[in-house]
Amino acid sequence: MNLDFTREEQEFQQSIRDWMQTNVPDDIKRCSAVGEMTGKELQQKWERLLGGQGWLALTWPEQYGGPGWTATQRYIFDLERAMAGAPPTSPFGVAMVGPVLYTFGSQEQKDRWLPGIVSGGTLWCQGYSEPNAGSDLASLKTRAERKEDHYLVNGQKIWTTQAHWADMMFCLVRTDSTVKQQKGISFLLIDMKTPGIEVRPIYSIDGHHHLNEVYFTDVRVPLENLVGQEGMGWTIAKFLLTHERTTIAGVADSHHEISRLKKAVAEAPGFLDKSQARQRIAELEIELMALEYTNFRTVAATDEGKPFGPESSGLKIKGTELQQKVSQAMVELGGMMSLTWDNPETVGSDVFNRATRRYNFLRACTIYGGSNEIQKNVLAKMLLGL
Amino acid sequence: MEFNLPENTTLIADTARRYLKDNYSFEIYRQHIEQQNHVDASRWLAMQELGWFGLPFAESSGGFGGTLLDVAMVVRELGAALCLDPYVDMVVAPGKLLEYIGSDASLAMLSDVIDGRAKLACALYDYHAGYQVLTPSMKLNGKRLSGQKNFVPDGGFADTLLTTALADGELVVLAVPVAACETTRHRALDGGRIANMLFDEVEITDGMILARGKKAEQALSMLLAYLQALDCARMYGAAGALYQRTLEYAKTRKQFGVAIGSFQIIQHYLVDMFIDLQQLESMLLMVAVKAESEDASRRERASTAAKAYYADKAVRIAQQAIQIHGGVGVTEELDIGHYFRLVTHCSLTHGDRAHHINRFAGLDEVHPGE
Ligand SMILES: Cc1cc2nc3c(=O)[nH]c(=O)nc-3n(C[C@H](O)[C@H](O)[C@H](O)COP(=O)(O)OP(=O)(O)OC[C@H]3O[C@@H](n4cnc5c(N)ncnc54)[C@H](O)[C@@H]3O)c2cc1C
Repeated sequence: MNLDFTREEQEFQQSIRDWMQTNVPDDIKRCSAVGEMTGKELQQKWERLLGGQGWLALTWPEQYGGPGWTATQRYIFDLERAMAGAPPTSPFGVAMVGPVLYTFGSQEQKDRWLPGIVSGGTLWCQGYSEPNAGSDLASLKTRAERKEDHYLVNGQKIWTTQAHWADMMFCLVRTDSTVKQQKGISFLLIDMKTPGIEVRPIYSIDGHHHLNEVYFTDVRVPLENLVGQEGMGWTIAKFLLTHERTTIAGVADSHHEISRLKKAVAEAPGFLDKSQARQRIAELEIELMALEYTNFRTVAATDEGKPFGPESSGLKIKGTELQQKVSQAMVELGGMMSLTWDNPETVGSDVFNRATRRYNFLRACTIYGGSNEIQKNVLAKMLLGL
Repeated sequence: MEFNLPENTTLIADTARRYLKDNYSFEIYRQHIEQQNHVDASRWLAMQELGWFGLPFAESSGGFGGTLLDVAMVVRELGAALCLDPYVDMVVAPGKLLEYIGSDASLAMLSDVIDGRAKLACALYDYHAGYQVLTPSMKLNGKRLSGQKNFVPDGGFADTLLTTALADGELVVLAVPVAACETTRHRALDGGRIANMLFDEVEITDGMILARGKKAEQALSMLLAYLQALDCARMYGAAGALYQRTLEYAKTRKQFGVAIGSFQIIQHYLVDMFIDLQQLESMLLMVAVKAESEDASRRERASTAAKAYYADKAVRIAQQAIQIHGGVGVTEELDIGHYFRLVTHCSLTHGDRAHHINRFAGLDEVHPGE
């Protein structure tokens, strides 16, 4: 067993670290240092910068624009990215619809959509959830009727992250309501500028606008925007769930948050009981280590071309729980400094002053992407045979 | 022992609940949250007419002689209704401080509070001193007051502050006009208003000094225990509302063709919330009776333990309420997330969990049951 990066990997790590040091824009570093949202403009600036470098579609085969890195290298990149204070890239294009397109899409679809994802030029959103189809996604009702030369889409999506930024949506729609639920679902690509689409904001409890409702009224979608065949939507959605597991635990960003927390504690005004605070942080770091080594096993297995073992199954659950714990520790260690909400001036520490926004929002991370309860149901059935 | 609420206390609680049901709502709260001034004149008057302004104070101080338990029931209802009206911050807190000081001057000010004429708030904290209220960083040098206070819950409109400073190492409590300091206000986590106040060589006359030394320390210690109990009451109201709403939601929200409350994991979550709520209620009754005790060690043991326990369990209930609601739980449109923020807020005022665990660990040993 070798539990260290090889010399080549260490050199790779150093080169990425150097690059990040000089290339992560200052305005992004400033945001992340205090835990503020980057916003659309900065996010796109960052993604285009990575795109230009060929470092956006990290998991993709080289023929489609991936950098040809091993899973270990991707992990290292993610870690250095996070530690440099850069935000994670938006998952919808790169981690979701891209792999769907190069796996299930036609040549025309690949040619048309992949370059915009690789370069960071096209922004995507994910139109899966509906008001009555959350955990029970297969019960979705948004209809797409096949007409002469287009699909006519009617219905409503909800919780659509960044729909107000997006150029395109990949969407699960019902094309057949006469067959078993899962069989009647198809995967459509929808241009967000098509007439009949209305995007309404939903504000979340961090006070920001990430989420939306998206209404479709007689929206015409070209037939060529169907991915795979009609009725394949569920298969594609399931493929997506198993696609990339090596960054799902959020290890890199938890490292960054813990380092921010340590710095804030070190710089905090005298009243904070620092030894008590350091103990609490130490407990979080130890949990992170367990998660990280579990993640390393998944990364190593990927590089050896082995299927994921059972160790990878808890990554999302443990990873999201840890994100919540770290953000809660940040709020609680800040004490009264965390009480400020829209304070224009610093009271003691910017990091603590802004801590509750992230804490509030991260309540969602055990809900989205398949709630932790649903994850456990799946594991009980598939892994434990219960 | 006897755990029944006195008849009069039940009446006070029922009246408060009915009043808030008729006069307050989530919609009003959402408008309120956007406003700078957190006192609505008509509700303020109504609260006074309900007798809430005199309730916390002894008859000998001109009040109606209510107990902490009575006040806690009102505050519980305010929490349950998400009501932001600064009753605690602008009536109970400054009033109790004045009452505990008990001098002629302070009792005269108290009568203005009870009459609804005063616009007072307590400015006890600054970020240097943190929760150590007896050692504020503000200094009184001769007749000049300099320093700052932060996190001052002044409803957005107080005109006089009851504040603290060290004068040659001795604690003093002062009444200072807000106009004498540089004030910036902003929204706090619970939606209320808090202020930062800078004092730059503010001139202090003898009449502005309300208490000093031991007297000041004692009054503040008693005040804090009282307010810690009320923090618990407010959290209890919110946690109870969260539990009720979540239980209802679990019965009505359907996924996979059935109510989500039919899934065993959701049932267990709700049972855990229910059990924790029972224990929170026990702790509330305990602290509401003991936190106004004359005996300092009895008082501190109760208020410290209750606050530490609430900062853990009430927060956990709020987190689970969101989890069980799924996506809608994290939206501004639903009250769940607002209760969640209120609970987080109260877990950080007048000592957070770590502070109280530390304090409790340093208290004297007592025989079980005492
Ligand atoms: C911040 C955020 C961003 C999101 N972004 C997107 C996006 O971009 N695109 C998109 O399509 N969707 C998105 N979602 C939606 C997300 O996928 C859903 O919220 C999620 O699937 C849960 O559905 P729901 O909210 O309807 O909750 P429900 O399904 O109603 O669940 C409510 C509760 O019941 C539990 N539950 C449900 N079924 C079971 C069961 N069988 N056993 C045990 N417990 C169960 C859940 O775990 C949860 O605790 C986002 C959500 C959030 C909060």
